[in-house]
Amino acid sequence: MDVTIVTRDGARLGVPCAEGQNVLAAAEEAGLYLPSMCREGSCGMCAAHVTEGAYEMGACAEGALPKGEGGVLLCRCLALSDLVVEVPVRDEQIGRHRVPERRAVIAGLVPAGAGALAVTLQLEADETYGAAADFVPGQFFEMTLPGADVRRAYSLANLPNWDGRLEFIIRLVPGGRFSGWLAAEARVGQMLELRGPMGHFALDEASPRPRVLVAGGCGVAPILSLLRQMAEYGDATPVHLIYGANREAEFLPPHVLAEMKAALPQLDVTYAVWHPEAGWNGFVGTAAEALSVVLASGAAVPDIYVCGPPRMLEAVEGAALAAGVPAAQFFAERVQS
Amino acid sequence: MFCFQCEQTSRDGATAGCAGAKGVCGKDEVTADLQDLLIYELKGIGQYTHRLHKLGKPDADADRFSLYALFTTLTNVNFNRARFTDMIAEAATIRDRVAKAYEVEAAAAGKIPAMLGAAAHYQPAGDLSGLLAQAPVASVRAGVEKVGEDVIGLRSLILYGLKGVAAYAHHAEVLGEEREEIYAGVAKALDFLASDSTDIEALLGEALELGKLNYTVMETLDAANTGNFGTPTPTAVRTTPVAGKCILVSGHDFGDLRAILEATKDQGINVYTHGEVLPAHAYPKLHAYPHLVGNYGGAWQNQQIEFAAFPGPIVMTSNCLIEPQPSYRNRIFTMGPVGWPGLKHLTHNDLGILVQAAKATPGFATTAPEKQILIGFARDTVLGVAGTVVEAVKSGAVKHFFLIGGCDGAAPGRNYYTDFADNAPQDTVVLTLGCGKYRFNTHDFGTIGGLPRLLDVGQCNDTYSAIQIALALANAFNCGVNELPLTLVISWFEQKAAAVLLTLLALGVRNIRLGPSLPAFLTPNLINVLVEKFGIQPVTDAKADIQAALTRAA
Repeated sequence: MDVTIVTRDGARLGVPCAEGQNVLAAAEEAGLYLPSMCREGSCGMCAAHVTEGAYEMGACAEGALPKGEGGVLLCRCLALSDLVVEVPVRDEQIGRHRVPERRAVIAGLVPAGAGALAVTLQLEADETYGAAADFVPGQFFEMTLPGADVRRAYSLANLPNWDGRLEFIIRLVPGGRFSGWLAAEARVGQMLELRGPMGHFALDEASPRPRVLVAGGCGVAPILSLLRQMAEYGDATPVHLIYGANREAEFLPPHVLAEMKAALPQLDVTYAVWHPEAGWNGFVGTAAEALSVVLASGAAVPDIYVCGPPRMLEAVEGAALAAGVPAAQFFAERVQS
Repeated sequence: MFCFQCEQTSRDGATAGCAGAKGVCGKDEVTADLQDLLIYELKGIGQYTHRLHKLGKPDADADRFSLYALFTTLTNVNFNRARFTDMIAEAATIRDRVAKAYEVEAAAAGKIPAMLGAAAHYQPAGDLSGLLAQAPVASVRAGVEKVGEDVIGLRSLILYGLKGVAAYAHHAEVLGEEREEIYAGVAKALDFLASDSTDIEALLGEALELGKLNYTVMETLDAANTGNFGTPTPTAVRTTPVAGKCILVSGHDFGDLRAILEATKDQGINVYTHGEVLPAHAYPKLHAYPHLVGNYGGAWQNQQIEFAAFPGPIVMTSNCLIEPQPSYRNRIFTMGPVGWPGLKHLTHNDLGILVQAAKATPGFATTAPEKQILIGFARDTVLGVAGTVVEAVKSGAVKHFFLIGGCDGAAPGRNYYTDFADNAPQDTVVLTLGCGKYRFNTHDFGTIGGLPRLLDVGQCNDTYSAIQIALALANAFNCGVNELPLTLVISWFEQKAAAVLLTLLALGVRNIRLGPSLPAFLTPNLINVLVEKFGIQPVTDAKADIQAALTRAA
């Protein structure tokens, strides 16, 4: 079904709406963020009027429903046919995650374990977006290879900041177009074109459950951002990091996680090495295998956040489901290669 | 979770109240349960501090903590469960200290320490799941099956009124105005709540006592505001943007606003007021800052749209905060009692990051054509022209006064207040306060007898100022407030309004119109009491209510 949202100033915005989906959620899925608050038919914030089409209103507080024919609360309004819905806001007032296009200068290129680079970019000030690095921990930026139509997405490892600093940990893929360029040609001071921030990999801050964060290789970047967010806001939720790599040498330098532990005292860390060399005393196996061990020993079923390459994600998800973790408690972000 | 403290509470179930995973305000059940436990602890602290006050040995830090902690539990103030976990631990430490002090001071006074009820001895669990398991004991509905809904309703009225009292008292305290009478009164009310009284008359009496206390609290806050910032004077306030970097200050706290104005002095940053900070412009010492350039936006419930469109950082100094949208989440900051997980909390000493944020965000690109509203008709201004006002009433030029005051909210029923103001006859004066006025304060009301027909008295706590105006008029006409040609039309939303209502009732003010809906915690029996004893009337239709008010007056 199609819903046409008509704004106060006459803009018509088309939104696909699935059967059983409320119009507010359908609009958000289409990138239109209308005012809303309780999302349960009580606050009246998402009041609107349906002017064409058939719909069904779920249970809502009588006083919250707007007066007049077709008065609905979008959080409770299910389309039964194509709909035309008038909303009491102007087009410009509807939040949109129109992805910003930015420019940034390479400010740092430093090795980050075997086969990876820590890349720091400095955003250029911009009339529309200002100078700040404004993103949600867990999000990524897309970078364009200078002079080519090649784009790669990389997750941020740092926190939003007013200095315009973006930090990434990027795996140097043998034969990779972008990472090959980074390793061979990129220099501090060069300009890059970016799009972002994007992505919905983020902490469920309202959840009361403990957290297990699983990082595979350079998938540690957004996981670090989430941990830094917890440290920044004094979030005391129990948290266990499982950090997996093929070889010990691929891990970030030890001081990174040592600093993390100092800032987040409740943090437990399990390093998992798949192909250890002589002298490795830690867990031997994949991150998914380490997760199975952690889940078997814990009392509460945690929320699981995982970032890594596709096969690792599949294995981790399998381990989580096998241990009885509900799908709604599983948050995954794929590392592009 | 069970919470029914605000006007917008869910009324879907058999018992009105928010009882799901999340309240209408956005407060989740973990935070709600932790807030209940914190209040339970505060009752325990109150059991000791009440007795310490009586022994003449108060603990100032415990008293201040109680105000602050109660304030954090108001609607739309603090949603950060990590903060509540910390405060629960802090409260236990404070309780142990005042318990010890009480033992020592009672012995020193030759008294046997009283045996105190359960709240005084509560030991919070060491982790979140343990705390949540303890929460039922602290629920506002605990024991309802034994004591009945009326008792629960009256206890809730007292608790919510007390939260309002604490919020006002905290605003005064941070501006340096503290009174022993207030701290003793708050401790006494907490101790009373801890007693789990089931005596309806005693509960009603305590509610009115609290109303009287709140009168003193509002007077103290008035003294704090005027003492720090001067006497409000009629002031035209710009409501359109000026080109340049900018900061928006929302909430109610003028002390926080002053700190922000100081930190942004000569930095090329314009500061705008939002919501209930609007009255700041009328205070000479705040108005004197040249970079306090105007007021932006309307009442709190529009913030998701307005904050998203504001091109700079935003600071919430008190209620009403609602869930920050992703588009402005990184540039909204909290101060004082306010909190939301993942938002940066500022103190007066670390405002550098706010300045940095203002400089890193785009600011307003252009200056919009100037528009203004007129504010600042607090007691001194109105009483300064009391002679004119009295004359206008005697000559028949002014037939009636309507005080349309209180909170705004999202529910469509609040259009009543706009309709009321707009339909008030031309020979009537509309006094207003609180944030409900944003629905009509840009309308042209004209003038009457040389006075604007719409007089903006200030914030909701400036009810004190409005009461002074009413008392002075009553004095001039040699009658009681209830005999004045004055009707109070109150819109309530959160707990400060509950405190103000108790004050008006305690002062014997009758025939108040209250809406848009009556508090969910008041049972039909309790509403009957309010109707019979105080003539409280629910709002109906604006035109009909205006007519009824004018007919009653005539």
